[in-house]
Amino acid sequence: MSKNPTIPEGYDIQREQMLNFKVPEQLLKVLDEDGRSDDKNFILTTVDEVFNWARLSSIWPVTFGLACCAIEMMAASATRYDIDRFGAGAFRATPRQADLMIVSGTVTAKMATRLKLIYDQMPEPKWVIAMGSCAIGGGPYFKYGYHVVKGVDFLVPVDVYVPGCPPRPEVLLEGLMRLQDKIRGRKGKFITPKWITDYAKKIPYRK
Amino acid sequence: MDQKEIYELLAEKLGAAALGFNDEGVEAFADVEPGGIADACTFLRDDGRLAFDQLMCLSGIDWDGYDENGKGKSVKILGYTDEGQPETSDRVGEGDFGVVYSLYSHSLRHKFTLRVRTPRTTASVPTVSKIWSTAAWHEREAWDLVGINFEGHADLRRILLEEHWVGHPLRKDYQMPSQWENVPLNGQPYNENPFPKPEPTPDPTPDQPSGDDPAEG
Repeated sequence: MSKNPTIPEGYDIQREQMLNFKVPEQLLKVLDEDGRSDDKNFILTTVDEVFNWARLSSIWPVTFGLACCAIEMMAASATRYDIDRFGAGAFRATPRQADLMIVSGTVTAKMATRLKLIYDQMPEPKWVIAMGSCAIGGGPYFKYGYHVVKGVDFLVPVDVYVPGCPPRPEVLLEGLMRLQDKIRGRKGKFITPKWITDYAKKIPYRK
Repeated sequence: MDQKEIYELLAEKLGAAALGFNDEGVEAFADVEPGGIADACTFLRDDGRLAFDQLMCLSGIDWDGYDENGKGKSVKILGYTDEGQPETSDRVGEGDFGVVYSLYSHSLRHKFTLRVRTPRTTASVPTVSKIWSTAAWHEREAWDLVGINFEGHADLRRILLEEHWVGHPLRKDYQMPSQWENVPLNGQPYNENPFPKPEPTPDPTPDQPSGDDPAEG
C-alpha cells in the first residue's frame, strides 16, 4: 500500500473514514451487477449505524465536577482542547438531558448517594467515564480515606477508565474517543444488561 | 504586646486557672484550665490592652500515646490493607484530648495561643461560640472529627460527615469503616466478574465459517 504524501504523519485516516456512512461492499457489488447504480448517488446503511452515529456524535455530558479533575474537564471543554469538536461540549445542567456522566474526582460516601441519584435520573442509553485515580480506585485516599469510595465502579457501571492524577485534557479526549468506538460497535436495541440492573440495586440511595 | 506580657495579664485575671506558659517552641502558648477558658477568652477579647477580636483557628488534638509532659511516641494509625479491608487492632486509645485557640487582634496586631487539655473519658470543654461566633463552626468540626464535646454550644451537630456517621475519624484509635449505609468504603473484590469471559475460539477450519464475537452483548 503506497503512502499518500499529503497525509501528515500520525493522521488516522481509517478513523476518519469510520465516522462516515459505510456502504457494505456486498451490497455495492450486487447493485453493480444489476447495473442500476451507475452514478452511486445514494447511501445505503442500517438503522443501527445511523442511530449509533447520531449517538456518538452528540454525547451530552452532565455537569458534574467533583474535585481537581473537574478543572481538567473544564480545560478540555475550553478553547485550547475544545471537546465540542467531538460533539460532547454541551454540558447539561440536568441529568435528564444528558447521555454521559464524567465522574471527575473523588467520590466520598456523602456524594455516593447523590451520584447514584443523578445516574438513575439519566435516560437510557447512558454512559459513564471514570476520570482520574480517585474515581478509578480511590487513588491517594485508598490507605487512609475513611470517607472515600474506592472506585466509582462500586456504585455505577463504568464504560471507560481514564487514568491520571489528574489526567490531562488530551487523555480525557482520548477516553471520549474510546467511548465513541464503544458506541459505534453496539447493535440492536439498548437493553440494560442484567448484571447492570443487579448492580444498580445494590446501592439504595437515601430518601 | 509581647507574649509573656499577655500571659502575665491573663494569669493575673485567672489566678489558679492559668496553668503555665511555654515559649520554647515555634509558637508560644499558654495552658489554661478547661473550666476557665470562657473567662479567659472573654477577658482577652474585652480588655482594651489585649483586644483579641478574632479567633483565627480552633483545633482539636488527640494526644494518644503522649503523657501530660509531651513524652511518649506516636501510635500506629489504622488504615486499610492493600486488599482494601479495614485494619483492626485491640489497642485502646490513651492520652488526653486538647483544644488550641489561635487568637489575633486586628487593632493591636498581636497574636496569642491558648491551649486546654481534657481527659479522654470526659472529652468536654466549655464553648467559646458566645464570645466569637466563628467558633460555632470550628467547634462543630472539632466535634465531628475528634469528638470533643463543647458544653453550651447551641447547635453541636456534625459539619463535614453525615449525621449518622459512627465514630470520630481523626482520633488515633479510629477504625476505618467497611461501609456506610450500604455505600461500600472498602476495596473489596468483585463478587463476580460483570464482564462475561469470551469463550475460547475453536481453531478455524475451512468447513466452519467463524461466527460472531462471543463477547457480544
